[in-house]
Amino acid sequence: MGKIAIVLRRSPYGDINAAEAVRHALGGVADELSVDLILVDAGVLLAKQGQDDTETGFTNLGDTLMDCLEMGVDVYADKHSLREENMDTADIPEGIKVVTGSEIADIIKNAKTTMIY
Amino acid sequence: MSKTFTLLLGTSPYSYENTLTTVKIAESALNKGYTVNVIASGDGVYCFLKGQKAKGITNAEEKFTELIEKGLRVYL
Amino acid sequence: MFVIVKSGPDTQDGKRGIKLARDMSADICLIQNAVYFARKESLEGFCGKVYILDKDAGLRGLKDDELEKRIKKIDYDGLVEMMAGEDKVVGMY
Repeated sequence: MGKIAIVLRRSPYGDINAAEAVRHALGGVADELSVDLILVDAGVLLAKQGQDDTETGFTNLGDTLMDCLEMGVDVYADKHSLREENMDTADIPEGIKVVTGSEIADIIKNAKTTMIY
Repeated sequence: MSKTFTLLLGTSPYSYENTLTTVKIAESALNKGYTVNVIASGDGVYCFLKGQKAKGITNAEEKFTELIEKGLRVYL
Repeated sequence: MFVIVKSGPDTQDGKRGIKLARDMSADICLIQNAVYFARKESLEGFCGKVYILDKDAGLRGLKDDELEKRIKKIDYDGLVEMMAGEDKVVGMY
């Protein structure tokens, strides 16, 4: 079965894109598909640690991203986007691979299907 | 005379954060005794559809129903 | 004058909201994705008062030491009181 690449370009919570990206990533691995979740632009903010959903009415998407990692989704964060958001590897959970633009291009090239959020 | 808050809600309930922001502001203003109107425009009208089944996120129908009971005025 | 900005720094709407507030010498409250504007060096050149919705910042994992020192945190009750106290509220951008 071919790989699925899910690209998240938008920051979490302001709109549904981040929630849908992780939902479909989890759905993919639950169906035993191979899923790459690639965080670019403001999408890298999904990986920010310490998200507190107390009394907000939201599902904690930081925790859902951790679920993705535990379930076997390969999660990547764009190095350039992390720098743009003043983040570095210390700001993101262990297990997320920091990659360059050309490495992202290779991941997408190798995927059978790409979903962009 | 008490101040009136009029909030314009123009987006569908679960695609954006606007519904929740509107709910929270309306709830706080009602608790403080202000008059609160919500005008639903465009896709905002979907916030008031009956039979919404949303879980894991604030259910717009349930929350607005609760606020209407507290005095919220809604115009579609 | 008070401008509420909800769109993030990565959007034209967010930038427009901040510029509008600056041009009107208004104060701003940052909510939703606009809370990312509260990070250090993100609001250079903005001289008005800046408020941030505490819950929206916490939801996104923003910590106190990442924020500009001058920024005041408020909750929804605080925001409602500020909206009630202003002659004009513009937003949400």
